[in-house]
Amino acid sequence: MKIKLTGGWYWHVLLIGALLIQLWPLLFMFSTSFKTMDQIFLSSLNPIPSQPVLDNYIYVLNNLPLLQYTANTFIIAGSITIAKLVTSILAGFAFVYYDFPHKEKLFNALLLTFFIPITVIMLPNYLLMAKIGAMNTAWGVILPQLADGMGVFLMRQTMRNIPRPLLEAAQLENAGSYTILWRIVLPLIKPSAIAMGIVFFINAWNDYFWPMLILGDKNAYTLPLALQMFISAEGGSEWGVAMAVAALTSLPPLLLYLVCQRFIINTFMQSGVKG
Amino acid sequence: MSEVRGIVFDNVCKNYGKSVAVDHLSMVVEAGERLILLGPSGCGKTTTLRMIAGLEKITSGTLTMDGSVANELAPGERNVAMVFQNYALYPHMTVWDNITFGLSLQKMPEPEIRSRTEKVLEILNLSGYETRKPGELSGGQKQRVALGRALVKQAPFFLLDEPLSNLDAQLRLHARTELVRIHEMYKPTMVYVTHDQVEAMTVGQRIAIMNQGILQQLDSPDTIYRYPANVFVAAFIGAPPMNLIQAKVQDGALWVGGVRQEVPQEWHPLLLSHTEVCFGIRPEHCRLTDKPSLPGAVEFVENLGGQRCLHIRLQQSGQKALCVMPSEQALPPGAAGISFAWENVNVFAGKAGTNIGRPLSLRHHCA
Repeated sequence: MKIKLTGGWYWHVLLIGALLIQLWPLLFMFSTSFKTMDQIFLSSLNPIPSQPVLDNYIYVLNNLPLLQYTANTFIIAGSITIAKLVTSILAGFAFVYYDFPHKEKLFNALLLTFFIPITVIMLPNYLLMAKIGAMNTAWGVILPQLADGMGVFLMRQTMRNIPRPLLEAAQLENAGSYTILWRIVLPLIKPSAIAMGIVFFINAWNDYFWPMLILGDKNAYTLPLALQMFISAEGGSEWGVAMAVAALTSLPPLLLYLVCQRFIINTFMQSGVKG
Repeated sequence: MSEVRGIVFDNVCKNYGKSVAVDHLSMVVEAGERLILLGPSGCGKTTTLRMIAGLEKITSGTLTMDGSVANELAPGERNVAMVFQNYALYPHMTVWDNITFGLSLQKMPEPEIRSRTEKVLEILNLSGYETRKPGELSGGQKQRVALGRALVKQAPFFLLDEPLSNLDAQLRLHARTELVRIHEMYKPTMVYVTHDQVEAMTVGQRIAIMNQGILQQLDSPDTIYRYPANVFVAAFIGAPPMNLIQAKVQDGALWVGGVRQEVPQEWHPLLLSHTEVCFGIRPEHCRLTDKPSLPGAVEFVENLGGQRCLHIRLQQSGQKALCVMPSEQALPPGAAGISFAWENVNVFAGKAGTNIGRPLSLRHHCA
């Protein structure tokens, strides 16, 4: 059913205004990346470059090991995504289909992890990574992020919606837990799992703080760290170049979202209906 | 499959915390028979079925299947096929994959899977639907796929949990006869749960009636209909239900309100030990007459199509009785109540509600 938009022009003005405020930085990022330094400082609020140039991109591609950074980011974000998906799905499955002592308490403890800010666990994690010699390696970034409380919670909620008789029917066929998970549960939760994976990936891709603490060596940098080189005190403020890197950095998550948006929108709508 | 030795419940209980779902159930399901578990919702019939399947753990007692104790066997090791109430078809699989799922898990050779599945699809009139998903099927088709998934296993135990309850009345009628036909083909031991007494009567060779976790009666549909073991069964089986009329025993006769009811001599030994009884007569065994044994007035007439159901208020006692007569037959003029033949009467003890039995001379009616 389509709902016709009627009346309340002021709502439209408000919403369009809010949308522009959201889009403005993005638009500025793209336009600045096509400007020369002169243009950047001349027309401070004009989003359209008078003479678009590709100099910034050419500079970035020639002078930065961008491929290396992209590969680093991919390995880290990809590993974290896969690890979080695997642990969330397995833990969610256990919480829904197994009975074990203190199940509810364990689950509540898991929910509590939502409320622990990263700044609290930053130091112990840092010390642990230093101790096991994971500094300056992708492992150091990945290891503390193998599991995710929110992921377990979401997977549990999704799996609870699968009617029990489906699993009982499989049990009667002598299907083991692995078969039930792989052949029955996973196909049914696929849209939710994909949507969750995308959120994990984008978060890990954009993560700045934790990689900054772990990765000191420039060769191990992820894209957000590389970006920082151009806007830090040491690197000077090469805005055009910085924006070109930023634009390139934001492309993969954007593409991923565009390809998979069907799953994300579906899942969020379903969770709205089923509650 | 004929050497299969059925299912034996020996004092089986199932508790959920403090509430008792099945209470000391002892019964034998003969190999190859169609046994119906019948009762109102919450009577423990589905729990009983799920205990056979191994989907519910038995609290105490022994369940024997095929000659060996099955209490601790996992569902997959019991060799049962089950049709669930909501079919439980895998929504992401095609009809073919739904039906072959179990066989492929058993690592059955592909040609065998193919021939079995094709046969089942043909029997169930599902040929041509192999590539459809459950979402693209009608209710009746889904029900047949669920049936097919159970049939293709050729398991010696065939369990059905209200398999027809989601179908409309016409389809249900058709599916009932189909089920019987299919059972006759393979002759598995079939346990069928329903709350619909018509389904129970038409499908079952024997019916086990349960109430509040307790087995009330286990017998053939005819015997249960004619000689209910207690007031619960009498009231539960039959539509319109059996008339249950409260009466006092005095001076070798029954008193309904202030009306004396002569009792044939052969009933006397049975009745003498009781002071209060409840006697049951089926509405179709009552006749409206001008010289009634139970005087009363017709309150209103219900049209059941081929029959009419008369609601009669009995004089003095104020109790209600039903009487069924063919629609084409006119109400007899001067009708002043109902009469009945004692051979059609069941008498239940006043408080306990159990059938007090029948005189020896009438026993031959008990088939």
